[in-house]
Amino acid sequence: MLGTHEFRPLALAEARAKGLPDLGIVTVPHPIGGIAEEIVAGKALNAVDAVLAAVTRGAAAGAAATGADGAASRHRAPDDLLAFQEFVMAQGWGDGLPMIPATPERVAAMLAGTARAAGDLVAILPPRLGRATVERVAVNAVLAGARPEHLPVILAAVEAVAQPVFNLQAIQTTTHPCSPLIIVNGPIAARLGINGGGNALGQGHRANAVIGRALRLVLQNAGGARPGREDRATQGHPGKYSYCVAENEAASPWEPLSVERGFSPEVGTVTVCASEGPHNINDHGSATPEGILTTVAGTAATVGSNNVYLGGEPLVMLGPEHAATVATGGWSKADFKRALWERAQVPLSRFDPSNLERFAVVHPAGFKDRPPGTLAPLARAWTDIMIVVAGGAGKHSVLIPTFGATRSVTRRIEG
Amino acid sequence: MEILDPVGSTQAASRTPAPRPASLEGAIIGVLDNSKPNARVLLEGVARALARKMGARDVRVWRKPGASIGATPAVLDEMAAQCGAVLTASAD
Repeated sequence: MLGTHEFRPLALAEARAKGLPDLGIVTVPHPIGGIAEEIVAGKALNAVDAVLAAVTRGAAAGAAATGADGAASRHRAPDDLLAFQEFVMAQGWGDGLPMIPATPERVAAMLAGTARAAGDLVAILPPRLGRATVERVAVNAVLAGARPEHLPVILAAVEAVAQPVFNLQAIQTTTHPCSPLIIVNGPIAARLGINGGGNALGQGHRANAVIGRALRLVLQNAGGARPGREDRATQGHPGKYSYCVAENEAASPWEPLSVERGFSPEVGTVTVCASEGPHNINDHGSATPEGILTTVAGTAATVGSNNVYLGGEPLVMLGPEHAATVATGGWSKADFKRALWERAQVPLSRFDPSNLERFAVVHPAGFKDRPPGTLAPLARAWTDIMIVVAGGAGKHSVLIPTFGATRSVTRRIEG
Repeated sequence: MEILDPVGSTQAASRTPAPRPASLEGAIIGVLDNSKPNARVLLEGVARALARKMGARDVRVWRKPGASIGATPAVLDEMAAQCGAVLTASAD
């Protein structure tokens, strides 16, 4: 297996997860993308001898899986809370913010938040293929500062990200800045105090903070996506600490996301999307649906977006005032999605030819041998655009593009 | 104090790799392009140089459908059936 030096930790983790820790891995100096082919060819020639040795030498069989799902193993940790913070970071379990020690008593109290058995397997999480049992999720939930009543939401989110269509292996390891955004629907959001009103994506609400953080810690610890190692994000984004929001159903003129997806309004659901950070859409002037559409489309139709060539489901989080303007003009949510898809298109002339060549390989129907006037929409189909209503007073919405090679997943929150 | 482990066990299975070839003479060297920019240039460059050096018969190239999407089982079976050795890439 070849790669560049920068990606060696990820290659090693993948080989281990596949049961082949001694697989021949040869690396060349980073990068290979975005440089002249002659330079890459030179790197190839320099690697030939190492590749030959790797191909012809014997590789040992891998170590067996690291044990069954018995009770979680225990560690000695410092009693002092400040020293404990140094300990968790040294273990590679932390995100940099202070953590609550996951003592057996606290984990037992956390487990009381679900009817599920501690040893139940919730998901197998790449790249490490870690076995996320209910207890393992609970340990990370304690570290994150969650309360027992948050655990069912966290468990549903872990199950959701592990669905094959979500493409978690890629999302955990990509250079792209994405992280699972958890959108909570149903009465459970208000019951748990998950904010979908003013500053919905910001700080100040414990449930949002700890639920999103718990999912991140499960992905980092059980999933083995450690920042700068297997998690290869070039910059990442602040939502990687925590990214959880409720839809503001009370302030929405339309059916909630969960109802669009076939759940009844009383059912609590999580929807996970592999999301970039939110980008503002400022429109203090428009008083018509067309006006709001013009501003949203103008913000969404951009050149450097994964969605424009990989597809996926870009999310528009409309502020309640923008949503009211659109709905008062008589438009349904579907009307807005269809109109946005038709309007948010990028002329191919705005892309650099080298990128068009690359996109033509990935998405021939959209980019291969297309005439210069061709337009590239921000998603493959209008139905791929996601709309939720969140936020408080004010004339702002946000655009949240996604990783592209991923589908969002909605799951019912079980007790 | 005592705390519980947040990492836990893995599903990773132990596998025995296929026997390594003693020589590549007359073999087909397969390349699985992982679709990252210039990955094919690197992989094919190595494979062709190896083929020249070791007297391999041919270099054949397959491609993953996208950088973040796995190769189909059919492609993997085809490569296994045809190739004496295979080069692929991880990430960039």
